[in-house]
Amino acid sequence: MIVQGNVLPLDRANVDTDQIIPAHHLTGIESTGLGKHLFTGMTGGAEMLAEFADASIVVARENFGCGSSREHAAWSLADRGFRAVVAPSFARIFFENAYNNGIAPVVVAAEEIDALLRSKSVHIHLEEEILTRDDGGTVPFTLDPLRKQFLLSGGYMAFLASKIADVRAWEARRAS
Amino acid sequence: MPQSLFEKVWNAHVVEALPGDNALVFVDRVVAHEITTPQGALEIERYYGDQLYDPNRIVAINDHVSPAKDTETAIQAKVLRDWAKRHKIVLYDMGQNGICHVVAPERGFVEPGMTLACGDSHTCTLGAFGAFALGVGSTAQGGAMLAGCLVLQRPKVMRVNVTGRLQGGATAKDLALHVIATLGFKGGTGYVLEYAGDTIASLSMDERMTLCNMAIEAGATTGMCPPDETTFSYLRGREHQPTGDAFERKVEAWRTLVADDGAAYDAEITIDVNALRPLVSWGTNPGESVPIDGVVPSDAPAGSLAYMGLEPGVALRSLAIDQAFIGSCTNSRLSDLRAAAEVLRGRTVSVPTIVTPGSQAVKRAAEREGLHDVFQDAGALWTHSSCGPCLGMSMGVLAPGARCVSSTNRNFPGRMGAGGRVHLASPAVVAASAVLGRLGSPDELDAVVRETVNA
Repeated sequence: MIVQGNVLPLDRANVDTDQIIPAHHLTGIESTGLGKHLFTGMTGGAEMLAEFADASIVVARENFGCGSSREHAAWSLADRGFRAVVAPSFARIFFENAYNNGIAPVVVAAEEIDALLRSKSVHIHLEEEILTRDDGGTVPFTLDPLRKQFLLSGGYMAFLASKIADVRAWEARRAS
Repeated sequence: MPQSLFEKVWNAHVVEALPGDNALVFVDRVVAHEITTPQGALEIERYYGDQLYDPNRIVAINDHVSPAKDTETAIQAKVLRDWAKRHKIVLYDMGQNGICHVVAPERGFVEPGMTLACGDSHTCTLGAFGAFALGVGSTAQGGAMLAGCLVLQRPKVMRVNVTGRLQGGATAKDLALHVIATLGFKGGTGYVLEYAGDTIASLSMDERMTLCNMAIEAGATTGMCPPDETTFSYLRGREHQPTGDAFERKVEAWRTLVADDGAAYDAEITIDVNALRPLVSWGTNPGESVPIDGVVPSDAPAGSLAYMGLEPGVALRSLAIDQAFIGSCTNSRLSDLRAAAEVLRGRTVSVPTIVTPGSQAVKRAAEREGLHDVFQDAGALWTHSSCGPCLGMSMGVLAPGARCVSSTNRNFPGRMGAGGRVHLASPAVVAASAVLGRLGSPDELDAVVRETVNA
């Protein structure tokens, strides 16, 4: 699967999930329709999204998605058409949530970020794990081999559902 | 082979090894609240016939906005309530509820050696009991409710030895902030912080919960404290625990949940707390804190300074505040309220101050001691239990530019309201600051009172 698109250059570290979507937008019961709230907790966030309205890939600095576990952060990115976030590191819960919502969390070395922030668009080959900038430069990356399946074909919950009988058998053994 | 505490708990829950250092991990307990549960519950209802692995392993708690503030939050609470009733899940609702990380332990729903998941990042609080307690997204929480398991990447383990005695006004909150400042805001990422040492053994369960609560603020997967007599006596007689011999047999099993001598760790640090003094955050993440008598660092990031309206070199004690808040899953338990009341007794706050107990049970216990009178005599607002202003979701939201000293866990931009500025501190420092009208510590207050008396 190829993810190709324009870059939202987010030249910031520690973009927390309160900035991605503030808590006063967490009042729904569905995971849909949250794109309109994306980055409304960030100073200059709305203006940035307007300037890069056609972007579908976020490039940011370290520790992206830290803080609250709210999956609304991944939902709001996905609803707004984002398919990947490229950063040197991610907070664990956002990292897992991204995989479960069709957003590739692409980890690259910190020294790659400057060039990626300048790249108007990027091309990400998820199977081959190669990212290509608009100047032709390439950056390899590694995806979690299991979560990559969830990313490509969805179905984190379906995967767990397929394990229910195994889990019940395991639990019965534990009890005996 | 010698094992760490974490390894013992992890190994006892691996159902199946999976590719890429992942494992299918059995989840003993799920705590479900109204903000992050409905989405996963609805997905299960739509695609899996509304089945759950075991409703007895779940408790539901309306906690973030309870009572509801509007139609949307009323629907969230109703969805959680109806879902819990349909599956005969134990529900703590208005009147018996509170912050889920306060309610779950006080009901005895967490215990040593368990795995526990909740769609809330501060679930790490419950690691204080020697459980592997994990904040997850709604989909993962739903998966755990549906299938009794989670896919988890095996975390690394960092042993955090803590030595010395908390003194000079330093509290578990200051230790938590100090750990984050030591490791860095993301320095714990990929690790479980396994606390160890005599200092940890000397802490109460409330203090251990405060410490583990902020493990996530260093990016850690969770925190864990070794269970001991303090843990066992806390749990004895609690609602979800058996009584008599059945409980004592559990205790015997829990006694094995200590790190073996010679257990290997991926990293190890030692922190001595003898010289630790009350800390306060100046910046926009919890790693950006200094002693209360300190100044904004010269190497402070421009972004943090601009948001907080500060310059390098500014003394924290010189900063006037607009609001004070005592509450949150970090510092809203009875001992926290006692510490704040100790400072506020016979004094008057000079800025709007909100005191929010962590649960209705904490509220009632505090009122039996007369703490509500202390707070209200001091001019503070004493509320029902709630997450409250901590995440800017309901009551007590800050105005843009307003500066608040808060016993909470996050000082992110906009956390307590768009443009609001948050300084994290212990309940005693928050209370003292509320009296002073600026950031300050209880020892200053003694001087203020004496001056008043002499005049």
